[in-house]
Amino acid sequence: MEEFFQQLTNGLAVGGIYALIALGYTMVYGVLKLINFAHGDLFTIGAFLGLTLLTSLGLTDSIGPVAGLLVLAVMVVILVGVVGFLLERIAYRPLRSSPRLSAVVSALGASIFFQNAIMLIWGARPLVYPHGLLPNVTVNVFGAELPLIRILMFVISVLLMCGLYYLTHKTRIGTAIRAAAIDQGAAKLMGIDVNRVISLVFMIGPALGGAAGVMVGLYYGQINFTMGWLYGLKAFTAAILGGIGNIPGAMLGGLLLGVVESLGAAYISIAWKDAISFLVLILILIVRPTGLLGERVADKV
Amino acid sequence: MIKKQDILCLAGAAVFACAPLVLDAYWTDVLNNIGLYAILALSLNIILGQCGLFQMGHAAFFAVGAYTSAILNTMFDIPLLWTMPLAGILAGLFGLIVARPIIHLRGDYLLIVTIGIVEIIRIALINDVGGLTGGANGIFGIDRPMLFGLKIKRPYQFFYLIWGFCAVTIFLFHRLENSRFGRALNYIKDDDVAAEGSGIDISRYKLIAFVIGAFWAGMVGTIFAGKMKIISPESFSFWESVLLFTIVILGGMGSIRGVLLGAFLIIGLPELFRDFASARMLVFGAAMIAMMIFRTQGLLPPLPRKYDVSRFFSKAEGEQS
Amino acid sequence: MKRFMRVLALGLVASLLLSSAALAADTIKIGLQAPLTGKYASEGLDMKNLVEILAAKVNADGGVKGKKIEIIAEDDAFDPKTAALAAQRLVTSGVVAVIGTYGSSITEAAQDIYDEEDVIQIATGSTMVRLTEKGLENFFRTCPRDDSQGAAAAQVLKDRGYKRIAILHDNSSYAKGLADETRKRLDDNSVVFFDALNPGEQDYNTILTKIKGFNPDVIFFTGYFNEAGLLLRQKKEMKWDVAMMGGDATNNLDLVKIAGNDAAKGFFFVSPPGVNDLTSPFAKEVLDTYKAKYNSLPASIWSVFAGDAFLAIVEALRQTDSTDPEVLSEYLRNKMDNYPGLTGSIAFDNKGDRAGKFYRVSEVNADGEFVMLP
Repeated sequence: MEEFFQQLTNGLAVGGIYALIALGYTMVYGVLKLINFAHGDLFTIGAFLGLTLLTSLGLTDSIGPVAGLLVLAVMVVILVGVVGFLLERIAYRPLRSSPRLSAVVSALGASIFFQNAIMLIWGARPLVYPHGLLPNVTVNVFGAELPLIRILMFVISVLLMCGLYYLTHKTRIGTAIRAAAIDQGAAKLMGIDVNRVISLVFMIGPALGGAAGVMVGLYYGQINFTMGWLYGLKAFTAAILGGIGNIPGAMLGGLLLGVVESLGAAYISIAWKDAISFLVLILILIVRPTGLLGERVADKV
Repeated sequence: MIKKQDILCLAGAAVFACAPLVLDAYWTDVLNNIGLYAILALSLNIILGQCGLFQMGHAAFFAVGAYTSAILNTMFDIPLLWTMPLAGILAGLFGLIVARPIIHLRGDYLLIVTIGIVEIIRIALINDVGGLTGGANGIFGIDRPMLFGLKIKRPYQFFYLIWGFCAVTIFLFHRLENSRFGRALNYIKDDDVAAEGSGIDISRYKLIAFVIGAFWAGMVGTIFAGKMKIISPESFSFWESVLLFTIVILGGMGSIRGVLLGAFLIIGLPELFRDFASARMLVFGAAMIAMMIFRTQGLLPPLPRKYDVSRFFSKAEGEQS
Repeated sequence: MKRFMRVLALGLVASLLLSSAALAADTIKIGLQAPLTGKYASEGLDMKNLVEILAAKVNADGGVKGKKIEIIAEDDAFDPKTAALAAQRLVTSGVVAVIGTYGSSITEAAQDIYDEEDVIQIATGSTMVRLTEKGLENFFRTCPRDDSQGAAAAQVLKDRGYKRIAILHDNSSYAKGLADETRKRLDDNSVVFFDALNPGEQDYNTILTKIKGFNPDVIFFTGYFNEAGLLLRQKKEMKWDVAMMGGDATNNLDLVKIAGNDAAKGFFFVSPPGVNDLTSPFAKEVLDTYKAKYNSLPASIWSVFAGDAFLAIVEALRQTDSTDPEVLSEYLRNKMDNYPGLTGSIAFDNKGDRAGKFYRVSEVNADGEFVMLP
């Protein structure tokens, strides 16, 4: 039982990161119906930028670790948001009215481009965040030893998600985003600047990915230029699992995927872990073709 | 009647057939790789390009075919090319089984499921399922293909085998495209509700498209196994599926000419970019974006179908008189 | 116009004849197949640098029977398909022998092409057992193979008295091979856990928690330094104090960087001696030249094995005074005996494997340095 609980928390910790990245996927998809395969690489850029800023500015020394990391995170979020904005302008906007899959290929091209750009800038060897930035304290919860940082990371993920939910459902901008997601033409007629909404979405989504990148770097320490591909794929799976385009769905999907992976590895087989989670995904989709929280789309007639 | 276009095509093919005479073994082998991907992409084109099903796991069928051939050849000593039909049939059957429950999924949901299938296949191969696949080491010692008593082993010999097969593929798929079946697939791609309304059994047609694509990819697997002599799970990763997907979309969904051009660009360009050294994939990624931005419909999208209206009229007049 | 064409044609023929004659006269081409781009580009570049230094040395001493050695390097990008292409390129360029490459599955993809074209291949970073079990006449390797490493690892585990051993690999053919070879030589009851992780991930807490449930007294991870570093780090974070051992793919100082000195302390691995442990005067001289030219030593021992392959080929060329692969192969297999190389004396057994013992145990000390144990 104790081991089960431990594995559950392991799964939730990973799931929190998947969920955070999945949010970016789902937001972009909701508005543009585009699977942004470059999203995982924006996450990687966040991790690398975080490391560069951390070592070059030395903020944690000058204004203290907590404030330093906060300022750092904000800077990374802004920078990655700008990259996302540029990406949309250059690689996706010209394809707005063409077949949907053309934009997917452009996204794959962007993913290859970013991955190799990261390799050329920061090198092919894995880089390491400085040790000892975060204290190694564990908390005993129901008999399981949980590192305090994992709990913090989970809490931050959930807070960010709640913030995003608030933004999209309770504010004017959020209403505009949702309106553009439902029907761009109608939104335009209602006086919403759809292009601005799309640019905004393309800043928020990658910015969340960048934040996840910094968190991953701080917690796991090691970062490398190929890591975004795997995280991106997992996050895409999570977004689909929850019903793509749906923000609470991405959160649920991410957490569920993390837990399924962890329990599958713990009680069935580690080597078959990813196969198990894909199998679960397929089974869920056979029963619920639009994911757990996705809306059923009526056939157009 | 022989059309001018056909003559041009044949002349082009004849010139291309001379390529191994002027190219060295290396560039011939590059052309062989392009040929293999071209055939695979043509088979994916039936599913993705003609029928509009988002399939990003085509390497799974390729893998089933290659492993079938490799196992039959190394364990039972069946000559490699004889295993080709069986490789195709098993891949097709596999396609039928996995596609049956998921064929009704829409767009992106189907996409992730096909990704899932190719990953499950790869993981199963790596974990040596049934003790048949050799795990991460894969299967080695596969025989070279024999054709009319000739052992095919040099790049120029493979060139004729692969591109000969490619020519057959192009011919058959061209016929398929212009058949009743091909038109039905296009209809489903453009508007599946209307297609269903016109009496097309869309699930059945989608399944058939899947099975044909899978069958053909399985047969390419046999040639691949004979060319490499060793196959391992890494050759059938998700990334291979992404490449095939890219070839079809970049070329222009549903157009055979486009898919061929796409194969030349996606497989050939990284070889040409070797001078950029470690920046070559960076340049390649940028080139992919640029090609898509400037040709948003793909490089050579399918031409609109043309029908000779006068033929119908003259026929009608003939009946009258 | 006609006359001009005739002159041009004559000139062309003449220059072709001349150049081929010139090539045939005073150079011998030796190929190097290595990953010059991609994930393991650093290994490939080290191989190339070292082999070129040695070639320059041989040429400065008058070459082989008056002929200069020319090194032709081709990139295989650590990818089987590119490796097949690189092999085609080398074969067409007329090399007598090929050095390389790094990675067993990459070597295997090129192996048959060289064999069918009768080109000698001496592999340098390819430890998979079956490469030399196929009976290929022209294939050799200067690196040891996985079963000898497995034997060494099993011996260390036994000597240190571990009774409950968890073996973890990463499903790559190299790591799986080493894991299998080690398990074969251990008591069945002593292996309490045997499974694979997914390389490239970052969170291995789930796996560690699961292994902890089996209560082992040592974890033997046979994969690469990257994952080993993360495992050590996360094990420390769980406050789980169990011994951990690695194979030769963990012999890389980045491991300590990833894990941190605290977490890496006490980690030990079996591996051939590192570059710093080569002490023969000849090796010192070559490595000093290397350091003077490139400002650092080769990062790993694998590139030094490429140097040994080059030395073996040159010695065979000298002794047999022939470029016939059959003669060369016969010499390497049966007649070469304790020729002094960089990593020790070079000789090949009947299968084409390097003869001799290599494995040593190293441990990470409190300052995060690798210390080779006596």
